[in-house]
Amino acid sequence: MKKTRQQFFLLLVAGALLAGACTSNQTTKTDGATDDSADQGQPANPNEPITLKLLAYDSFTPSPEIFDDFTAETKIKVEIVLGGDAGELVTKATLTAGNPEADILWGVDNTLLSRALSAEIFLPYATRNIANLDEYARTLVPNNEATPVDTGDVCINYDVNWFKSRNIAPPLTLRALTSSNYANLLVVPSPVASSPGLAFLLATIAEFGEDGWDEYWKSLKQNGALIVGDWTTAYYTEFSGSSGKGDRPIVVSYGSSPPAEMIFANPRPATAPTAVAALTCFRQVEFAGILRGTKHESEARQLIDYLSDVKFQEDLPLTLFVYPANKLAKLPDDFVKYSLRPESPLRLDPDLIARSLLIWLDQFTNIVLR
Amino acid sequence: MRQTRTRRSKFVKSLLALPTLFVLAFVVVPVANILGRTFEDISLSLLRSSAIHQVIWFTTWQAVASTMVALALAAPIAFCVANFKFKGQRLLTSLTSIPFILPSIVVGIAFLGILPGSMHRTAFALIIAHAYFNFGFAARTIGNRWLQIHPHLDDAARILGASPAKLFSTVTLPILRRSIVNTSLIVFTLSFTSYGVVRMLGGPARSTIETEIYFRAMQLGDVSGAVLLSIVQILLVGLLFLISTRFGSRDSRRVSTPTVSRQKRIDSTKNRTVIALVGLGAIGFTVLPLLAILNKSLRTSKGFTLEGWRLVVSSNELWRGLSTSFIYAFGALIIAVLLATIAATAAVYDENTAGLVGVLTSLPIVVSSVSIGLGVLITFDTPPFDWRGSQLMLPLAHAMIALPLAVRMITPVLQGIPASLRQASSVLGATTWQTWRTIDLPIIRRTIVSAAAICAAVSLGEFGASSFLVRQSNETLPVLISRLLSRPGDILQTQAFALSVILVLFSAGIIFVIDSSEDFSPAKRTANNA
Repeated sequence: MKKTRQQFFLLLVAGALLAGACTSNQTTKTDGATDDSADQGQPANPNEPITLKLLAYDSFTPSPEIFDDFTAETKIKVEIVLGGDAGELVTKATLTAGNPEADILWGVDNTLLSRALSAEIFLPYATRNIANLDEYARTLVPNNEATPVDTGDVCINYDVNWFKSRNIAPPLTLRALTSSNYANLLVVPSPVASSPGLAFLLATIAEFGEDGWDEYWKSLKQNGALIVGDWTTAYYTEFSGSSGKGDRPIVVSYGSSPPAEMIFANPRPATAPTAVAALTCFRQVEFAGILRGTKHESEARQLIDYLSDVKFQEDLPLTLFVYPANKLAKLPDDFVKYSLRPESPLRLDPDLIARSLLIWLDQFTNIVLR
Repeated sequence: MRQTRTRRSKFVKSLLALPTLFVLAFVVVPVANILGRTFEDISLSLLRSSAIHQVIWFTTWQAVASTMVALALAAPIAFCVANFKFKGQRLLTSLTSIPFILPSIVVGIAFLGILPGSMHRTAFALIIAHAYFNFGFAARTIGNRWLQIHPHLDDAARILGASPAKLFSTVTLPILRRSIVNTSLIVFTLSFTSYGVVRMLGGPARSTIETEIYFRAMQLGDVSGAVLLSIVQILLVGLLFLISTRFGSRDSRRVSTPTVSRQKRIDSTKNRTVIALVGLGAIGFTVLPLLAILNKSLRTSKGFTLEGWRLVVSSNELWRGLSTSFIYAFGALIIAVLLATIAATAAVYDENTAGLVGVLTSLPIVVSSVSIGLGVLITFDTPPFDWRGSQLMLPLAHAMIALPLAVRMITPVLQGIPASLRQASSVLGATTWQTWRTIDLPIIRRTIVSAAAICAAVSLGEFGASSFLVRQSNETLPVLISRLLSRPGDILQTQAFALSVILVLFSAGIIFVIDSSEDFSPAKRTANNA
């Protein structure tokens, strides 16, 4: 009698927990179990709209209604799932390759591309917009393993007024940063923990070569460069040209940071408070792809087409502060006016990056951080 | 009698199945899974890299330093509370307990707020923040044990001619030793495996094993390296646990509050000054960082403003974050308290299981949360167990994180109940279940409430697992704070600080609820029931 009561109690608890798990499981399941429901044991229902899950990094913030047109046209809903920073996304996608958490992944950049491709997380697809996409970006995915969706640059930014008021010329090259004129003026987000920091490290490797970059960093460090944990701290706490009003007038940030300073400022200043040193820029390309194992491949293809088409691409400059990959997309006037697009940015082969990144970061850690 | 014992041990073993199942399912199997997946790629050469040696060395020495600073801050408080009766004593104990349950993100921004810029991103900032987290907890546990030393023991030593120093070293310290070792072990483990504070205050040059695991897995995609490091972490902490059990004998004395209180009235100006200094110092140390957050919630670069608070109170995000956090906290406390009560009962009823319970309920602290997270991702990925993105994962994760604390709260109280009571009950024909319900439950009821409150606090403030598991639609408060902090504009920053103040108030509320229910000491309840 008592024993049955104990067992009943335990069963009750276990049952309640399982029931809870299953119900919440089912609710997530119904979203995506319509076209290919043979293995789910549910009849296909053509009237029920399909919801695609779009997995993206935390800072993916397009205009809220941007997918309304897509849904109206195709009857496909889009649910944005934020899953950490880009590195986290790729690691998780690698572990779940073939049985993904979502249908589409947005935000693999050229520093992570090789990792994503060697784990075969994507289904290749040539979007109908392919002819209009940035040529350099397309060379990185010759077999359409993923679709380039935007490009940007990581560059040295400086506080215009700081240099003007002291009558000092701002630094224009990477080499200049080791000059005593700029001692203790630079702040860099750590390459080890932030993606603009990593891009800057790659810029120095592209500029000084695999044999020369470590000497360069030694001199940077001797010249008093400050390395902080993340971009937010570097740009908003330590940099003097942003709202944070820090002490250092030179920072590693994006080529699109100056337009962001102008467009968000209220009231808008007469001249741009920050500027970019064009010769220091490293090109970043971001890709989106269909996750292998999705049950909605044909719908996912439609979404890739939409993401790389003009309407969505024109939303990017003022929401994500990147350049559209689609050359037909028009740039907003303010964006063109205040941003600087370097003619020949620094670049590195993604395969070389994939092969050597671990070694470079270990070396960097030893030279600079310890 | 023997029959009762075998029946009881069977009962206990069947009970233990539930917590074992949970820890297996949500800690052991996922980690084994990720280990199995990456086993072929694991290369021990990582352990020969000097960078990794430095990480392991830094992790260890900062944890040792954090523990020593926490103990040094705790000792005078424990001494005053255990030996004197003074005004504001309860306030002191309660206030200094708050930091232990504060969210790491809140402590991080608090110390960024009070430390001068030159001290940000230093080992000092990290150690002082770890000490801040733990000193009140250490003072409380050691002070409680001190209170239980019968004052006649001191008197006897004094009459025999012992000096105060001699009394301390030959009577007090040996009795306190076990409590000090256990407390240090917990503080050390928490500092050793801490993540959020290290990321916020340690700066890029100072990685601990836990942050290195995250960096390897996420930034480099070197999951096998990350798994290897988590194994190293488990081994190091495990080794420490082993060594500590050899330190001093187990405290086998069944202790209860002595009938004569050892707390004396303050009788000299010297004592009064000492107590005033210690008390005010402890309260100041506790409150100053929190005031810094309040201050920052009311200030932008343009000066004083209530705008941040206005936006927070009127925004849907806050209310959604609050309700999400509370629902998860409620789920987590139900699961954790249920499992902890079962585990503690098993450990006390059947001493053979005590070792198993100890290991089981230490695993969630010792095993790196990144490894558990990645393991869960590849374990619960096929129907009907495809729980990725399920609303249930977060309360479960929080329950696992809170379980070790809850077990450590409930076990000592159960141990304090004289075994003779249970034997009497059995002899009179009661079943084990009836014995537990009528003898143990009434005595531990209040502790269960306290443990539930602590579990709720852990869940409310938890950041690591949450940031890994939440989706945009179900953000918890700490995740919301972190998102606000990482976005430009100082109005968003003031909102993040205002939300942090709200979390601090909840933590404080939880401590005061626990402390106001502590009038019923276990001893008194036993007497009433017997």
